Amino acid sequence: MARFCQGEAAAFDALFLRYSRPVHGYLTRVTGSAAVADDLAQLTFLSLVRARGRFQAGSRVKPWLYAIATNAARDHQRRGRRPEELTSEGELPSTIPADLPAPRDAGLERTVQRALAQLPEGQRLPILMHRFEGMGFAEIAEVLGLTESAVKVRAHRGYARLRELLAGLRDEVAP
Amino acid sequence: MTPECEQVLDLVGEPLPAPLAAHAAACGDCRALREGFGALEAPPSSAPPALESARRLALAELAASPRPTPWWHELALLLAVDAAVVAAGLLALGRKGLVLNAAPAPVVLTLALLLLLVVGGGALLALAPLRRPRPWGALGLGVAGLAVAQVLCGSGLSHRPLLSGTLRCLGLEVGMSVAPLAVAMVLLRRAAFTPGRALAAGLSAAGAGLLVLHLHCPTGTVAHVLWGHVAPWLALAGLAVLVRSRMGSRSYAP
Repeated sequence: MARFCQGEAAAFDALFLRYSRPVHGYLTRVTGSAAVADDLAQLTFLSLVRARGRFQAGSRVKPWLYAIATNAARDHQRRGRRPEELTSEGELPSTIPADLPAPRDAGLERTVQRALAQLPEGQRLPILMHRFEGMGFAEIAEVLGLTESAVKVRAHRGYARLRELLAGLRDEVAP
Repeated sequence: MTPECEQVLDLVGEPLPAPLAAHAAACGDCRALREGFGALEAPPSSAPPALESARRLALAELAASPRPTPWWHELALLLAVDAAVVAAGLLALGRKGLVLNAAPAPVVLTLALLLLLVVGGGALLALAPLRRPRPWGALGLGVAGLAVAQVLCGSGLSHRPLLSGTLRCLGLEVGMSVAPLAVAMVLLRRAAFTPGRALAAGLSAAGAGLLVLHLHCPTGTVAHVLWGHVAPWLALAGLAVLVRSRMGSRSYAP
């Protein structure tokens, strides 16, 4: 990171190689759209370059990068672009981008996406980062600018709510 | 939800110990949760073409500006503009004396120091790349306390009719806040939008004009200070949040 901050292209490439796919995957999960994630990933890495003077030496890169990605996604949703990505029922789309391999169970995936989409952002983001990005609660707290205990509470409430939603949705789709 | 369900919930995404695994296999709700998360974990995709485009753009940006600008340069710039406004305002208005506030000197000095603290601290909160939870509550309480103190600790003297005197001070405060607010808005675009940051920047930028009025204005009635000094300050800070929320960001860094 220090070499990247000094403008070294090879150092940026190393960071990009390591984080671009996970960040893109995270943005796809947050926005529910691979096309939107493409744009936001671009903004995220442009921000990484433009704002590297704000990076504090000695801090961890991953939470900082995910904070940038989260802010870009929030800004996208704040500007009212999110409804275009939702279905007529206000849910995350269930379609799978063409370049992704088929999921193991499309129906189940759709069910989980519907349940996740119903969670408030404060509970959804900690769950996405904890479950899919393999981040600890301390790292998530860094990303979201919260205390670790606040993140734990939100994640736990989110998991509990998700459990209820999944049970309900499963009953709905069961024959 | 049974205690076992709670434990399964805590271990979503991790291997379960044997007793819990047996419970998860038997409990429909726990199975739904774990299978649901498993279903979302598709194998990693190949790199989308958009990522290569993102890489090229970022490298071009890096080549165009190889030297990063430290964040404290931005803070120094905003504080320099605030200082210039205070100095120019006091010199322009202070032909009959720089400090015309007739309240007791310790009160004038204490409130001036607190205003300086808001100007400096607000700029720091707005522009520093801190990721820890920021003391927004403390800032709100401090600003509310300062606003009340400003209104209640005036000299009580009146030198002009209420309306014309208030409009004059209101106009002066707005005029003196234009440059610091404009600079603050440009600098705020270099980080992600948050209402707290924008509010802190607005309070800091408009605080320079309020400081000049606090020192210079000889009228100290409650109504005048409230509507001519404090209300415009708070309104300008609110306006800063509104304007910033409608501006795009050049960077989404925290």
